[in-house]
Amino acid sequence: MIEVSDLVKKYGDLRAIDDISFDVKAGEVFSLLGPNGAGKTTTVEILECLRTRTSGEVRILGMDVKSDAIKIKRRIGVLPQDFNAFDLLTVKENIRFFGNMYDKSVDAEELIKAVDLTEKRDEYFKNLSGGLKQRVGVAISMVNDPEIVFLDEPTTGLDPKARREVWGVIGSLKEKGKTVILTTHYMEEAEFLSDRVGIIDHGKFIAFGTPREIIDTHGTGSLCIIMGADARCAAVLNEQWPEHEVKNGGHIIKLENKNSLPEIIYALDRSGGNYDQIQLTRPTLEDVFLRLTGERLTEGGDATNGKQDRRKSRRIR
Amino acid sequence: MFYRNKSAVFWTLAFPIMLILIFGAIFNGMGEGKANVHVQDLADTDLSHAFVENLTKTDALNIIEIGKDANIDDYIKENSPNVVLIIPANFDMAFMPGAGPNTTTLEIRSDPTSTTGGIVTGIVSGMSNQINLMLASGTNVMTVATSDLVKEQKFTYVDFFIPGIIAMTTMTTTIFWMVSLQTRYKQNGIFKKLITTPLTRFEWLAAQILWQLVVVFISVFVIMLVGIFIFNVRMTLDIVSILIIIFSSAMFSSMGMIIARFVKDEETAGSAANAITFPMMFLSGLFFQIEFMPVYLQRVADVLPLTYVANGLRDSMVYGNMSGAIYNLAVVAVVSIAFFIVGVLVSTWKTE
Repeated sequence: MIEVSDLVKKYGDLRAIDDISFDVKAGEVFSLLGPNGAGKTTTVEILECLRTRTSGEVRILGMDVKSDAIKIKRRIGVLPQDFNAFDLLTVKENIRFFGNMYDKSVDAEELIKAVDLTEKRDEYFKNLSGGLKQRVGVAISMVNDPEIVFLDEPTTGLDPKARREVWGVIGSLKEKGKTVILTTHYMEEAEFLSDRVGIIDHGKFIAFGTPREIIDTHGTGSLCIIMGADARCAAVLNEQWPEHEVKNGGHIIKLENKNSLPEIIYALDRSGGNYDQIQLTRPTLEDVFLRLTGERLTEGGDATNGKQDRRKSRRIR
Repeated sequence: MFYRNKSAVFWTLAFPIMLILIFGAIFNGMGEGKANVHVQDLADTDLSHAFVENLTKTDALNIIEIGKDANIDDYIKENSPNVVLIIPANFDMAFMPGAGPNTTTLEIRSDPTSTTGGIVTGIVSGMSNQINLMLASGTNVMTVATSDLVKEQKFTYVDFFIPGIIAMTTMTTTIFWMVSLQTRYKQNGIFKKLITTPLTRFEWLAAQILWQLVVVFISVFVIMLVGIFIFNVRMTLDIVSILIIIFSSAMFSSMGMIIARFVKDEETAGSAANAITFPMMFLSGLFFQIEFMPVYLQRVADVLPLTYVANGLRDSMVYGNMSGAIYNLAVVAVVSIAFFIVGVLVSTWKTE
């Protein structure tokens, strides 16, 4: 459906997109994940035929984004960042208006039902809440029954409940067999919705694959946290795992392989001491992201820090 | 916050400064400009030549000669002069002493809506009185007769004014609409969505122009009703005037689109549109004759498209001057196509 190879976009000397390549298959939900300014929107806008590339090959549905822009636009649907529609048109009228831009369009009522806006269909767009507006946006992006749907930060600025609602609508797109390209800076969103994720930072992919693959490759491994350990337990833990961290009264031990969990329990048991609970946590994409980019950790600090330094500062925390 | 919005500051200041400059220039130079007089010398003798020569020397008149054989009514129709002076064939009679009570009558025909008629009549009468004194010690050997330019019709200022109002409405309606629409949609992100559809900027501008035509024709209709029923103006809406309105709507809509390219937000849009439309409004002879203005401002008027819209509408709707109307229509059509192309090329749907 989408083939991108060696894509570069330069603004002056700045390489906003620095040689990225990826493919997206039919029916897949693919997320571009990254901090603000990483190059996500620039990338999708090139795919949507809205921006020109500096070099590289970009084919959508087998067509070139530059020479076949109009043909591509007829077959894709886009929810742009900060989507807005006509304030003084109702939900239904807005969907119809944008439907008129295409040769063929899906019935407005059907789309309204698909995004669950039946009750609000005659409401002026300006009177809708943020989450409802985004759902109208998703409906409009499907008005031409597109093969590929691009959603650029569909949940930015929404409260958690509204975000969940939008997720539900995006999930239904996948069920309909649409190929979905999602950009987001919410890790849990990418993890929850996508089949594959590309983490992008400074115009480059720093991780790529299914959420699981990325976590396994770049994650810290699972952690075992023992809370409320008494002196005896602590002594055993310190003796056997001298390098483990203690934070907020919890002993945090990295599980090198799965066998070490029974070992920990056995050691604690043997010590004869008491402890409150044992937690086992799997790292999320969020952890991976922080680890790879150090974005939140280096905030306000020296932006030119290398990855080595960032990782160190992460460990210190 | 206002000071940080640089373009708002610029346009807000630009507007009053522009007004001062324009009105200053118009009123300062008022009367400085020479009145154009179209002279048909039917006598064509040394004496009549000398008379015309003397008129030139007053420095207040600019003489344009009409061929001796021209049909004066056709000439008036084709050239829309404001003032015509006709020197009769028996002009020399006044200078023949003792040949009885010979009088010769200079004929001045002027557009009653234009004040140049009065100026010219004053100068010519003054000169003929002098001649009377010199030649015949006060006996009237030379008289001046004044009449309307177009014999059958009598025009008033309102006749002049109403086509100007139509031209102005066409301009302000479309420019203000386009500038505010473009900046609003650019600002609130509607264009961000629109560019993702197969809609082209050409289609967008064309659609806006079609819509503007509806609005403009409603205004034209209302203005004409007021003109006809309240001020008793005789005017017709013929095919040429309709074409002029259509082309000028396209032209000013495109102009609005071009202006919007350089305006960042909606607050600035109004000032920018004002700053562009006001000079045109006052320099294009909508409310008073261009000839009033200093010569350099007349040259400015010559390059303003609104001048041709107003003149064309006047020629076609009121004066019945077909050739003049078609000439103006041609100018407006060519300029509007040029603006349309530039409008499509230059406009942008992005905020950057």
